[in-house]
Amino acid sequence: MKRRGFIITGGIVGGGLLVGVGGLTYMNKRIVKYSGLGMGEGESLNAFVRIAADNTVTLAISKTEMGQGVYTALPMLIAEELEVEMDQIRVVHPQPEGPYANLFMAEEKPRAIDGKLTMMQKVFAFIPNIITGGSTSVRDAYDHLRVVGAMAREMLLAAAAKRWGVSTAQCYADTGFVINRDNQEKFSYGELASEAAQQKAPKNPPLKDRSEFRLVGKAINRLDVPEKVNGSAIFGLDVRPDNLKYGVIKHPSQVGGTITSVDNKSEIEGMPGIAGVVQIEEGVVVVGETTWHARQAADRLKVQEDNPVPVDAIKTLTASLSGEPSKIWEDQGNITTVLDESEQIIEASYEVPYLAHACMEPLNCTVLVDGERAECWTGNQSSTFILNGVSEGAGIAKDNIICHTTYLGGGFGRRGETDFVLKAAKVAKEFPGVPIQLVYTREEDMRNDFYRPAVVANLKAGLGKGEVNGWKKKVATQGALAGLLGRNVPMMPMKNEDDPSSTEGLRNLPYKMTAAYTDLTTMDLPMRVGTWRSVGHSQNAFFAESFMDECAHAINRDPYELRREMLADAPRFRAVLDKLAEISNWSQPLAEGQFRGMALHESFGSIVGEVAEISLHGKNIKLERVYCVIDCGRTVNPGIIETQMQSGIVYGLTAALYGAVHVKEGKIVQNNFPNYQMVKMNTMPEIITHIMEVDEYPGGVGEPGTPPIAPALTNAIFAGSGTRIRSLPLSRHGYKFV
Amino acid sequence: MVLKINGKEHQVTADPQMPLLWVLRDLLNMTGTKYGCGVAACGACTVHVDGQPTRSCLYPVSSAEGKEIVTIEGIAGEDLSAVQKAWIDHQVPQCGYCQSGMILAVEALLHENPEPTDEDIDQKITNICRCGTYQRARAAIKTAAKYRMESLETTTDQADQS
Ligand code: FES
Ligand code: FES
Repeated sequence: MKRRGFIITGGIVGGGLLVGVGGLTYMNKRIVKYSGLGMGEGESLNAFVRIAADNTVTLAISKTEMGQGVYTALPMLIAEELEVEMDQIRVVHPQPEGPYANLFMAEEKPRAIDGKLTMMQKVFAFIPNIITGGSTSVRDAYDHLRVVGAMAREMLLAAAAKRWGVSTAQCYADTGFVINRDNQEKFSYGELASEAAQQKAPKNPPLKDRSEFRLVGKAINRLDVPEKVNGSAIFGLDVRPDNLKYGVIKHPSQVGGTITSVDNKSEIEGMPGIAGVVQIEEGVVVVGETTWHARQAADRLKVQEDNPVPVDAIKTLTASLSGEPSKIWEDQGNITTVLDESEQIIEASYEVPYLAHACMEPLNCTVLVDGERAECWTGNQSSTFILNGVSEGAGIAKDNIICHTTYLGGGFGRRGETDFVLKAAKVAKEFPGVPIQLVYTREEDMRNDFYRPAVVANLKAGLGKGEVNGWKKKVATQGALAGLLGRNVPMMPMKNEDDPSSTEGLRNLPYKMTAAYTDLTTMDLPMRVGTWRSVGHSQNAFFAESFMDECAHAINRDPYELRREMLADAPRFRAVLDKLAEISNWSQPLAEGQFRGMALHESFGSIVGEVAEISLHGKNIKLERVYCVIDCGRTVNPGIIETQMQSGIVYGLTAALYGAVHVKEGKIVQNNFPNYQMVKMNTMPEIITHIMEVDEYPGGVGEPGTPPIAPALTNAIFAGSGTRIRSLPLSRHGYKFV
Repeated sequence: MVLKINGKEHQVTADPQMPLLWVLRDLLNMTGTKYGCGVAACGACTVHVDGQPTRSCLYPVSSAEGKEIVTIEGIAGEDLSAVQKAWIDHQVPQCGYCQSGMILAVEALLHENPEPTDEDIDQKITNICRCGTYQRARAAIKTAAKYRMESLETTTDQADQS
């Protein structure tokens, strides 16, 4: 195991950064230095691009691959300008170092194309904020990684020009070669790499016009698919360092509880194949020769626990809504007057339960602690947090820790936490020199999640003749983002009432109304909550878009026509809605017994509209098809966008049909797929996706498909039966899916 | 005991009750077969035992003795199987974690039923994919069925000519 050594290059993060005084110089240095660890043979042209003599191009991709396609989409952006073929590319995930920080998250905007960073972006690079989440990967990378590719290309051109003694204008780059225009002589990038690395990084390399793109915007094949069809892709649970032992954790049985002691430690340690029992603050871990040995033994643990008095979250939240709100998040026009003067008032209360992420790959982390150094292998959404977790758990300095980021068997926000890393590190510390693979069994995974919060909402509309005058919206919940930040970025704490995710997608809607008001009431509840695919949008779209349907029916308007009229000042929304009506044949009647509902929602910089078509017989629902239209601005890989729409819809559909985590006498009831059901092949509707052509900066695609599906579906149920569904999941109302 | 996996014999020392899944993953380091639920509910651990799709997480290793075990690593020797080819053509995998099990389940389905209908697929492919790859998987199953038919025809053609 090697300590990380660093290379310092200017240029990529920001031109001219290496000047400054005092602390700023230190900051500026830190944000451009990188180790290149794990990038293999070759010469680094910058923090992202390394080229080997055999013309293999290794790219450091600092967003993690959890199915959303970043190990293809981001390399496409570099390859487009670097002028290499996709099959020359090898992708590695770098160490958590400054150049790789997600700077989009600093201010919800991409860095400037000339590389100049704002103060906040510098802070995020300094941390460094390595995070894959919030559907930000392409938004962070779209300009930046093309510049990265172009800079490396210019350095290769300069190296070749020098060899030939000509100007760089005499040379051009093509599929991994620099070619001399005069005589068609050529050098491969591999031949030029070491000389290119000596060239100065150009500040503003020329970028192609969109019309010249040969990769970006095309549905080219994913780089990770071959290893995912032959079983060779390595996930966290698949790493097998020498002398590996396996740990299985038993957490306290109740929410907020602690295990105070183990009654039968020596009995467990005496079982065959068991190497030890380690009690940590968060639970008890049995370490064994195989996962199965550890699991068998962990199931036999007898422990004493200290448990708090259970709380009924929904009841508490509902009661809280009648008190003073914690914070007013939106107050446009005069909502009181508008409601008073409206001809008709409708009011509705909505609620949604806690949800588990249930990533297909149960949570796990492998840690080796060896003297002053440590090594860690895990699929994660933030190597910054991982580093913190290993450092804290094992008591090792961060510069002496190497993080290996594997493929993720699903993330959905769950792997942005560090609980599994911290615990693995604590256990590994007790076994110096022995790598420990800690796994949460499916049962422990499901019962020890950071759940999508339970949320209640009360919505009131003032309606006129054929129109909506205003909405008053009240929400009560915990804070999903506040939870995540509080645990993982303690120096930037967020109060629950300041958590924007709780009202995102409910306030500042694109629909034109005379008045709109949103307030939030927050509660501290014992359940640990966190970010779940599409975060606040996951429930707020259900509230808002169901309520829009309620309004339309209350004033006898077609739900499409009413929305359309209210979107007069929001052309991109209207275009999506119109396209959706067109491809779903909204104005044409459906076959006997079939019904449809629509929903439109913006999240993560993209607008998605969905129409759900169902057959309804009593309480038996057959999901026939879903039409989906997305405007995510300029596209990188439409094939991946289409699959992300499908994926997001299935995720939201699973929640709408079955998703609920209940607490009974302080214990979480759901513990495996038989009682936390999933949509499968036989419940899967056909999904027809249309991607709008819009020449705007890209939006996200990993999450925006999820929010609209629940309201589209429940609106279809209303169309078919007159039953308004105001709480999820549907299974709780007796619906069956065929 | 001796296990025959992907045509090769492996000597293993294991508790007879130990599920085949953990023998493969933790004793033999064949990690292509995945753990998803441990209760035969998700299909991530699917392997073939004497040609039958089997959820290895609840299948004691002692029952596998003397039988032909096939895992994702051995589904297609050097080349790709028709199913794997179709999987690439349709770009099915997302996170990829469920895919070994899904592919093994599909291989078994096509072996038994070379031209499955949508209903057959719904009934037989009960694997969970949290990423929701079902739509492309369904399309890929149909393409794989076609590839298998075609290669069957070519083999028969060649036989006719000789
Ligand atoms: S792990 Fe065997 S079926 Fe889920
Ligand atoms: S591809 Fe991720 S679970 Fe199926």
